[in-house]
Amino acid sequence: MLLNLNLIYMKKIALLLAFFAIGLQVLMAQTKEITGKVTSEEDGGSIPGVSVSVKGTTLGTITDLDGVFRLKVPLDAKTLQFGFIGMAPQEFTIGNQSVINVQLKSQDVALNEVVVTALGQTTNKAKVGYSTSTFTSESINKDGAINMLSGISSKVAGANISDVGGPGSSTKVILRGYGIIGGGNNQPLYVIDGVPLNDDRLDGTFSTNLGGTSDFGNGMTNINPNDIESLSILKGTAAASLYGSQAKNGVIMITTKRGKAGKLKVEYNGSFSVSEVGKLPDLQDQYGQGWSGSFILSENGSWGPRLDGSIRPWGATLDNSQLIKPFSFIKNNIRDFYNTGTEANNSIALSGGSDITKFFFSYSNVTSDGVIPTKADYLQRNTFALRTNSDFDNFSINTSFNYINRKQNSPITGQGGSDAATVFESLLQIPVDIPISDFRNYKNKFFNVDNFFTPYAENPYYALNENGISQNADRFFGNVDMKYKFSKSLFTQFRLGGDFNNARTFGWAQPNAPTPGSWNAGQNVEGASRAKDVGSVLQSSDYFGTINGDLMVNYNKDLTEDLNLDVTAGVNYYQSSQKNEIAYITKLTVPGLFNLANSSDPATTDDFSSLRRRMGIYGTATLGYKSQLYLTGNLRNDWSSTLPTDANSILYYGVNGSWVISKTFDLSNTPFSYLKLRSGYGQTGSDPDPYQVYSSLRLGNVGLGHGTLTSPFNGTPAWGVSNVINNPLLEPILTKEFEIGTEIKLYKDRIGIDFSYYDKITSGQIFNVPIAASTGYREMVQNIGQVSNRGIEVALDLKPIVTKDFSWSLIYTFTKNHNNVDKLSGSLPNVLINSYYDAESRATVGKPVGEIYALVPLLSPDGKIVVNAAGMPQAAQEKGDYGSTQYKYMMGLNNTFAYKNFQLGFSLDFRYGGVMYSGTSDLLLFTGNAKATLYNDRRPFIVPNSVVASTNDAGETVYTENKTVIDEANFGNYFYPTSNPGTSYTQRIFDKSFLKMRDITLSYKVPTKWTSKINASQISLGIFAKNLLLWTPAANMYIDPEGTNLGNDLAGELGEFRAAPTSKNFGASLKITF
Amino acid sequence: MYHKKSTISVLLLSLLLIGVGCKNELDINQNPNVPTYEQGTPQVVFPAGVIATVGKVGGDLTILGGIWAQNYTQSALSNQYKYIDAYDVKSTDFNASWNVLFTSGLKNYKFVLDKSRASGDWTYFLMGAVMNAYTTAILVDLYDKIPYSEAFQGLNNLEPKFDDGFKIYKDLISQIDTALSKDFTAITCSVAGTAPSYKDGTPGFVASDLVFNGDIEQWKAFANTLKLKLYLRMVNAQPALARTGVMDIINSNVPLLTSDAGVSNNVQRSTTENFVHFSDVLGKDNPFYEQNIRSLNTPDNIRASRTFASWLVENGDPRSFFYFGSLAPNSVNQGDYNGTDASYQTAKVFVQTPTDPVLFISEAESYFLQAEAAVRYFNGTNAQNLYNSGVLSAFAVTDNDGTSFVANGGAYAFPNAGTLEQKIEAIIVQKWASFPYGCHAIEGFFEKNRTGYPRTSSVYSTDKNYVPGQFVIAKNSVLPSGQLPKRLIYPYDETSRNSNSPAIVPSTTGVWWAR
Repeated sequence: MLLNLNLIYMKKIALLLAFFAIGLQVLMAQTKEITGKVTSEEDGGSIPGVSVSVKGTTLGTITDLDGVFRLKVPLDAKTLQFGFIGMAPQEFTIGNQSVINVQLKSQDVALNEVVVTALGQTTNKAKVGYSTSTFTSESINKDGAINMLSGISSKVAGANISDVGGPGSSTKVILRGYGIIGGGNNQPLYVIDGVPLNDDRLDGTFSTNLGGTSDFGNGMTNINPNDIESLSILKGTAAASLYGSQAKNGVIMITTKRGKAGKLKVEYNGSFSVSEVGKLPDLQDQYGQGWSGSFILSENGSWGPRLDGSIRPWGATLDNSQLIKPFSFIKNNIRDFYNTGTEANNSIALSGGSDITKFFFSYSNVTSDGVIPTKADYLQRNTFALRTNSDFDNFSINTSFNYINRKQNSPITGQGGSDAATVFESLLQIPVDIPISDFRNYKNKFFNVDNFFTPYAENPYYALNENGISQNADRFFGNVDMKYKFSKSLFTQFRLGGDFNNARTFGWAQPNAPTPGSWNAGQNVEGASRAKDVGSVLQSSDYFGTINGDLMVNYNKDLTEDLNLDVTAGVNYYQSSQKNEIAYITKLTVPGLFNLANSSDPATTDDFSSLRRRMGIYGTATLGYKSQLYLTGNLRNDWSSTLPTDANSILYYGVNGSWVISKTFDLSNTPFSYLKLRSGYGQTGSDPDPYQVYSSLRLGNVGLGHGTLTSPFNGTPAWGVSNVINNPLLEPILTKEFEIGTEIKLYKDRIGIDFSYYDKITSGQIFNVPIAASTGYREMVQNIGQVSNRGIEVALDLKPIVTKDFSWSLIYTFTKNHNNVDKLSGSLPNVLINSYYDAESRATVGKPVGEIYALVPLLSPDGKIVVNAAGMPQAAQEKGDYGSTQYKYMMGLNNTFAYKNFQLGFSLDFRYGGVMYSGTSDLLLFTGNAKATLYNDRRPFIVPNSVVASTNDAGETVYTENKTVIDEANFGNYFYPTSNPGTSYTQRIFDKSFLKMRDITLSYKVPTKWTSKINASQISLGIFAKNLLLWTPAANMYIDPEGTNLGNDLAGELGEFRAAPTSKNFGASLKITF
Repeated sequence: MYHKKSTISVLLLSLLLIGVGCKNELDINQNPNVPTYEQGTPQVVFPAGVIATVGKVGGDLTILGGIWAQNYTQSALSNQYKYIDAYDVKSTDFNASWNVLFTSGLKNYKFVLDKSRASGDWTYFLMGAVMNAYTTAILVDLYDKIPYSEAFQGLNNLEPKFDDGFKIYKDLISQIDTALSKDFTAITCSVAGTAPSYKDGTPGFVASDLVFNGDIEQWKAFANTLKLKLYLRMVNAQPALARTGVMDIINSNVPLLTSDAGVSNNVQRSTTENFVHFSDVLGKDNPFYEQNIRSLNTPDNIRASRTFASWLVENGDPRSFFYFGSLAPNSVNQGDYNGTDASYQTAKVFVQTPTDPVLFISEAESYFLQAEAAVRYFNGTNAQNLYNSGVLSAFAVTDNDGTSFVANGGAYAFPNAGTLEQKIEAIIVQKWASFPYGCHAIEGFFEKNRTGYPRTSSVYSTDKNYVPGQFVIAKNSVLPSGQLPKRLIYPYDETSRNSNSPAIVPSTTGVWWAR
């Protein structure tokens, strides 16, 4: 865990303390005046509020706003002491100098560490009885991250953080395991300057259109990381209970940068990086185009003859000519399809102010074009922030206004529909001997719609260039925060925040059809024709708005010399509204015109709105004894609009305590430099989503095997009784958690250990419990089920080498979470979480959530595989358990080497265990492109250890040895579930473990003597690489297991379905401060 | 000090007041996107049920039925329905049909029945009873026992028991009888047509009857014809009841269908309105077309089966052009989807359009049912006429004239001199040939199981001794040798959630009425 400092707050506190510390100034006759300036070694900036004192006396002063001090000292004074919270104290021999300039180094001392706790209050870390992790702006931004959490994914014990896709796509953040299976998500609450931030994904409403799925990121990914001063992760319930209904999954507290009094400060941060595609599937290199062992010109697979390098024709015959090429494997065929991506991330911030008012203004721009050719994966984000802090005598007012504009194109992944094909499905269906990049000119007569080599797939460049989906979003969030101090010990605070996000999405797919008489209209060697793509246009508008208001009173008083009481009470108002409208058409009549009017059919529309409100009252009190023992109690009651009106109240509570043992006992003779024990217990929860209490009708739509009949049906409106039985007795979800932990520092902080054990139980989960259709309904809304997460988190912070010029520090994190579904209702032994084809992830009692079930072979009583007449393994009646989707454990290792002005760091992320289903492997196995299809060198074989079942005269089932050979013509069938239901899923579900080098960064701080030449106070340069190395087990021959197009929550743990590959980045960064 | 305390009290009090005073603000949980349950009426709910029946009977079950009735077969160039053509239908494969028919079909009919019974709206009461009986019977015919007497109770019974198929049939018939006995001129009855209103002039909703557009006489005919069909299903299992039931219907001279009952653009109704019940629009078209062509990337999975095509060709039947676009269509031997026969490449695709009707009981079927009744219980009186009407109607809907076929000496001339079984065979074979029109090929599969016709060939259709039109065992059958499927096994969604589900019965076992 990084021990980092929150400078703003420390400086504030320091100023206060300093004023108290400097008592009476004693005038003395024999004095001399010493002046000087105190600056920070890190950024060369002046530090106001540093206490300067003469050792052994009470004489002293503090530095002014420019870091300058002026102190009269006795002539015999020998040593000056400089002290500032968060900085290593320094002593300076006076000698006969009268000007003493000092640079202070920051110091990682847990004692002085400040954390941001619930409600946006800051407190000394020693006071809190739960585990927290805090990150500074620097650690978030050192690799030019465009997303505030991607830089810390291996650095927090107890957090599972992954970027799941390309530029701007979602980030998964799961703290202490998946607790929620039903009735909510598992995402933490993001709180920015005390106000909850909307984290909804803006792509929920149209994922089923345009024949695929798109990912425009979750709300958190919009924030400019350079605007963040610090970020604290409160993983547990004890910490989060004051947030009541929103904090069941932990809280991520974000403090934004603020202006400081003093001269204008200008800070520029820039990075530029290039990216290349990461892990791609391993393809077989032995067999070429064809099917069932024969060379067939129009096939979309590599089930043909052995590659022999002979020159063969390929593709369509056109104008009596045909292309020729060697019948050989093409190396890097898929890799060459991808481009080099580029990403520029620039931000500039201006700040400064007077004693009364400080301001901070920033602008940032991210322009990122991912590795997919064209701008199919593209993000352009502009952010503006203006924040002010004003302090009057007893009154202060802080404001924050943030505007974000985002233009983003997301690649369409997953399964194509009748309107269009998707790029990745097209790409995976190209035989290994056919050069993909040749197709780039998709209008070339051999590669166009009419004559692309196969009627079973489309030219991937066609989908890339002619179809797409793009989103343009405007988001405003901000808050006004006012505080009035009645006295030293009593203040009231009013904070009103809002977050309004409006996204407009536009999707388009060009219609196309092979011209009658052309290769793909049935004139190919197989006589097969490709269905036309009818094209589509989608327009959607998604609005998410939240308003959050808090009115609080705080009372802080030293009751006795040893006892301090700190009490806060408040009320909270929260409202969240959502409005989505979507309209789409298919069957474009004029190609190239992407307007909703361009169809013979009326547009299909959907319209959804929802509104929820919550009121809460809360109180928290901390009792401190001699700054070494702290006890905090939290209490909150919420009233929620989504619960039954006569039972809409929910009580939350929490208690936590900490004991700084190293303060109670003198441990100076032991290796311990700091020792703290902490423990907490709390209950948080979540009110249900809206509209699950009252029964209703539903639109009379009927899902078909493919497609849907929709109401109104040719002029006849149809509303059926809902298939969901709503619940008039609905209750909230509750999470109870106990945690205990310790923070230990040894050998003058050279070794730091932070250990936590937690035991979290989430109960009353809200499910749409599937019920037998014979009840008339498909589902009933129920509070059932309990999930427990128990685990340990260890963070080791070591500084093996610390010398003047060279230091090595490393942080190691270890996370082991044991997740278990404790209870579901009796009639519901398992819950379907997600499925693709016959692979399902389920919650099953006694197992971790997200266990994968899929078809397993039917076995004879003695354990042999029963095959059908074709010699293919049959499937057992019940699906079998392929294992958990959850990691057994996660480890992170971060090394930092500093030599003079250079710093080299790298981090490794290792996640072990768990399985995933891969839709990419499914298609590659079907087409014979996957390496796994070289089984038995594709020679005819009999399924090993297999038997045939038959019925004897007595009507008993008997098993005899299977002698049916799977011959060349049927070999490919062995790799597809429709023909080999028995064992094909073992080919598609594999170990998701991985080891990744997350980042490697080298930075150089330009010495002050050079920076001062351009009047800069600090310049640092860096180069970095991200996701440079990836190791996966041999069974994963397909994809980066972190990448998924199934979302950033539990459903995504199933795996992926023809997702885009992830990429690696290489870049350079520059930071200049004036 | 006093000042401070009062400040705190005032603040705390105001916090409390804000907290409590907002309670009404929280009563906002009624879903604004859909009507409330209380707003539901038979007029808006009935079409939801019909669309469900149409979507499944005309979609999944048309594909299943047409393949198992050997009207068409899986193409050798694609994969979609291989599992059906190998009789390898697992418990998970037809979950959706079961679920939709129960929850979107039958439950909505039950809603219509309950509401219309309460309000005395006998129009919708009859419509609900007939559609409920038709849809329920399809499920019985597919699965034998199904939940019935304890079904549709929601939370009150999460695991309804399965009832005997015959008992369900009897109850369906009595429900139809009850509905037919009502007074359709009562002032409480609504008119379900294009410009609907209540009898007292209260305006109703817009067109709500996708089947007959409010023609209650047609509904009565449909009700009687459905009863006829249900009784005839019992000829093997309950011959006595079948006899009395059928004879009652025929003897009482109640109206029987003389035109198609189903959802169709083609049928002339008693009004002059033009019907557009299916259009060439995503989600508004024929479900078989939507499912198999519009929303599927491969439009040519379903191709001519040698079984049906050889029979059409042998008889010079012009309907071959209507069904397969050719008078001499290349075809695939049933279920030979892995076959490499060169002609398979050009095997004809079953012709579909977005506006094809989905019929529950076709005009032809009505005549064939009556013809069978005549053969079985009226010594064949009028049987030939009824049979001829059926064949002519089946030709007519394909824009052909079957007159010469039913004429003496014609390929389909009624075997007047034949045995009862020969007559039944002639009727059922013609019926089988008519079902691909109107997306009710599943009836061909049921009738094969009830009557054994068309006969099952002892050789595969590639054999020189193969008799065109006889059923063959699909090439890649996973069933024990020589067996054909006779039912669906219970869907996993039901068996896994309802512990009262019976043990799995193999698909080779016939349902209660099977021959």
